Amino acid sequence: MLVASETDTVNAVPIAPNLFEFSADGAHLIGSRCINCGEVRFPVNDFCPQCCTETTERIALSRRGTLYSFTVQRFRPPPPYRGSENFQPYGVGMIELPEGLRVTTVLDDNNPEGLSVGIEMELVVTKLFEDEVGRDVLGYKFRRVNS
Amino acid sequence: MLGVGLHPFGRFGEKDVIEIGREAVLKAIDDAGLPWQKVGAAYCGTVFAGPMAGNKVLARVGLTGIPIVNVENACASGGSALREAYQSIAGGFCDVALAFGMEKMPKGFIAGNPNDWFAVMGLAVNPQYFALKARWHMATFGTTEEQLVQVSVKNHRNGALNPFAMYRKAMSFEEIAKSQMVNDPLRLLMLCAPNEGGAAVVLCSKEIAKQYTTKLIKLAAIVLDSPLYGTTEVPHISVSARVEAPTVTMTAAQEAYSQSGIGPQDLDLVELQDTDSASEIIYTEELGLCARGEGGKLLDDGATEIHGEIPVNVSGGLLSKGEPLGASALAQVAEVVWQLREEAGPRQVKNARVGLTHVYGALGNCAVSVLHR
Repeated sequence: MLVASETDTVNAVPIAPNLFEFSADGAHLIGSRCINCGEVRFPVNDFCPQCCTETTERIALSRRGTLYSFTVQRFRPPPPYRGSENFQPYGVGMIELPEGLRVTTVLDDNNPEGLSVGIEMELVVTKLFEDEVGRDVLGYKFRRVNS
Repeated sequence: MLGVGLHPFGRFGEKDVIEIGREAVLKAIDDAGLPWQKVGAAYCGTVFAGPMAGNKVLARVGLTGIPIVNVENACASGGSALREAYQSIAGGFCDVALAFGMEKMPKGFIAGNPNDWFAVMGLAVNPQYFALKARWHMATFGTTEEQLVQVSVKNHRNGALNPFAMYRKAMSFEEIAKSQMVNDPLRLLMLCAPNEGGAAVVLCSKEIAKQYTTKLIKLAAIVLDSPLYGTTEVPHISVSARVEAPTVTMTAAQEAYSQSGIGPQDLDLVELQDTDSASEIIYTEELGLCARGEGGKLLDDGATEIHGEIPVNVSGGLLSKGEPLGASALAQVAEVVWQLREEAGPRQVKNARVGLTHVYGALGNCAVSVLHR
């Protein structure tokens, strides 16, 4: 497990630009807030689909939220999914963040017994797989606080 | 609704998807009892049959020079084609129109778009989103795993009576409850299978219909909606927690009720998008067949059985039939037409006079129709 602060020093690339970044308190997702209506979206978007304007600002989203719903992915998804050859089931959840949005995410947990709607979750940025030139490809996940 | 025809749903080896579509069209034309040359416009719904698939099918039915429009709208493709056909007649552009759809889908779960990073991360699997909705519904309203099993038991029991269904066999509670877990709480036999099949319907103006049949079935509404801002769709990387908009199923149903002057209390049967067991429970609520959170109780009370108060998916639904995307909505319409004509054999709903169909697809495309005799 890579902890957020360590990833800056690793030969690593994010799975896509503008999803997350690192600050003094660790990794956080990047969202956008509509200056007009206040709606917050993830990933960052220059367009607000609620009020149909291009008036958004980039914001750092909270690192912690609550589990709104969850499942466990029990089979290997079809391509373009990339994961280790030895597939391990992984949790999938929706995390409700204080900014007023629910983010769909992989969970760093695959035991449904330990998960329940409403528990507190926190962001981790972690290696997903290695790319063709041997770099770690990083993505975001959420895990139980104090798990 | 003058004629309907289906090619069975299932897996048909090397059989060409164009031939599957053609058989459904020929059956619908035959059922309508009018010559192909009378059809003035055609709309084809398909996702996987490739460019110009509708033209390829109709080139094997007869080249009559009519406009042919190919519609791709995921699970709502067939419903979208039906709406176009309806509007071409309602708008006075032709007297008879054809809507049809067919698929030969890749086996297994539908793959994500190769360019989507969230698909690479493993977040583009449709059943994940059904499961997230299911878990939320269970946590919020107390819907149980047993109820999820019972939906599948019911629909497979109904599908055993449908010669066009893929499985055509009843499945026991045990068999479903112990089937492989796919996306908790959804198990393999609580999910519909992508497959192959075709469906076609012939619509016409009332004046034409009177010349060809005495069993008049009216398409009272066909609505296609996309979602409002703030609803959770398949897939969704984020959704607002501040805006509580009505779902696309709610808005489409409301418009269909309003256009037809028929309310949920008037319905004698409903064919709805049971991509998974939980979806059936949720959609019975969103279509207004019961109050929010009461879908599990509606099922437990037996109301959604063939001889219940409001039978749901008497055809076997997608759980038993499988889901060939472009054909599924039109197959629902065919089922309702057979029921309203009292031609549904062992799965006939008594005194069926009014029926509703509902499909829901990727990114929240939703089509709802209301038919009555």
